[in-house]
Amino acid sequence: MKKILIIEDDKFLRELIARKLEKEGYETPQAVDGEEGFKKVVSEKPDLVLLDLILPGIDGFELLSKIKNDDQLSRIPVIILSNLGQREDVDKGLSLGAIDYLIKAHFTPAEIIEKVKKVL
Amino acid sequence: MNKVQRTASPLAKRNAGVKEIKRLRNTLRVRDLELAELKKKHAIDLQELDKVAKMLVQRDLERSQITEKREDELKQLKESRAALLNILEDAQAARKFVQEEKEKISAIIANLSDGLLLFDAQDRLSMVNPQTEKIFAVKEQDLIGKTIPQLAAFPATRPVVILVKNEGEKIFRKEIKLREKMTLEVTTVPLTIGKNQLWTLVVLHDVTREKLIEEMKTEFVSLSAHQLRTPLSAIKWTLRLLLDGELGNITQEQRGFLEKTYQSNERMIALINDLLNVTRIEEGRYLSRRVLIELEQILQIVVNSYKEESKRTNIGFKLEVSKEPLPKVLVDLEKIQVAMQNLLDNAFRYTRAGGQVTVSLKSDKKEVELSVKDSGVGIPKDQQEKVFSKFFRAANAVRIEAEGSGLGLFIAKNIVESHGGRIWFESEEGKGSTFYFTLPVAG
Repeated sequence: MKKILIIEDDKFLRELIARKLEKEGYETPQAVDGEEGFKKVVSEKPDLVLLDLILPGIDGFELLSKIKNDDQLSRIPVIILSNLGQREDVDKGLSLGAIDYLIKAHFTPAEIIEKVKKVL
Repeated sequence: MNKVQRTASPLAKRNAGVKEIKRLRNTLRVRDLELAELKKKHAIDLQELDKVAKMLVQRDLERSQITEKREDELKQLKESRAALLNILEDAQAARKFVQEEKEKISAIIANLSDGLLLFDAQDRLSMVNPQTEKIFAVKEQDLIGKTIPQLAAFPATRPVVILVKNEGEKIFRKEIKLREKMTLEVTTVPLTIGKNQLWTLVVLHDVTREKLIEEMKTEFVSLSAHQLRTPLSAIKWTLRLLLDGELGNITQEQRGFLEKTYQSNERMIALINDLLNVTRIEEGRYLSRRVLIELEQILQIVVNSYKEESKRTNIGFKLEVSKEPLPKVLVDLEKIQVAMQNLLDNAFRYTRAGGQVTVSLKSDKKEVELSVKDSGVGIPKDQQEKVFSKFFRAANAVRIEAEGSGLGLFIAKNIVESHGGRIWFESEEGKGSTFYFTLPVAG
């Protein structure tokens, strides 16, 4: 079973996306902030990370660069799933090593899973 | 005589008498002569006297004339002196005025909040004001007299000088980041007298604060959009799950309501995107990453995404592209798509079922022209001039479709114009509208 780590501070959004992923047969460990997120990336060794950007404490960009600068973790694909959507944010996310950048409000859960499947 | 007469004879007496007469006569003659002589002499003396007197009179006259002349001269001299003093006073006043003017100008230059640099015809720096010293954090004496290449060697002045060197006199409000927390807006002004350009004035306007505010505003807008989108995402995702039947079966009636709710939510999301676009247009840093492409490629993608809409609304939809290959244009893909979508959105939104929307693409050597023609409600004549204004919505449009941000055409106009293109329309109320835009051919 493929493991997808969801790092998202909004409880309801986290539940909605987890529900859909579980229905598709994924295991979904979850984290609510950057710090917990990083710990779970290390401990869970997920196959993919769905990463929100605005997070309490360590934000998504910082967490992303931490993952990408760690030899043990840098190969884990990260899809940014955020509602930040300005060109600068997208460019920054992609240049830090994210494989895709999705604006939550522009995608349905089904479309997000399409993207996940494509990467895996 | 009496004695003689008494003692002598008559003859003797007579002889003596004749003798006497003779003598007397002689004497008389002598006397006469003497008298004449005397008279003559006297006359000469008189003449002499007269001459002297006349001379004296003449002298006196001359003297008085001379005195008079002297007085005249003195008077004139006094007048000249007074005049000279006046002139001197005027000159002093003029000098004082010039001095005051000079001080005034110096004070203005010294106290101007903008930094000024004045280069002479040989590109040598001939003047800076204190603000310039502050901006560069370099003392005046280290700058004055230096040439452009010399100043380009200083790290402090390098960015500005390089800009001036490369752009010459054509700089208008060019922004450069001098260092952390110092952003300048540079403008150059050629100073000419007659036809000769004597100096180049470089004006440095400190916009650090404005930049900071702009950054804060961008951050604020970006965060607000994020905050607004989060609950909308939750609504969107939930509605989708409901509509996809993943949360249990729903009736047809429920589906209808949920569809409408979903569409409203989508509009809300689109509105936030519009607002973000507008904010960025106003910041003047809208376009990024331009690519060279045939406009038809982008248009095809956009047109395909409206085929569904065409079926759903029962509005005919046609794409007409000229047969000759179209020249490439240099565009920001995402933005040009937005501009096309905004025109097509309007065309479909304000055309009734059974109507027609036609998109055409053609070009000449200079421009590629795209048009979107609809057979919709048209724009009332009296409202046509406001069509591209922010938040404008025509009265008849509001009646048909209550929602709509009034930002679509404003955004489209800004996108097209920031690509160096033009946008316009033709419209007749009740018959339809055609919107056109052009983009300059790359190269």
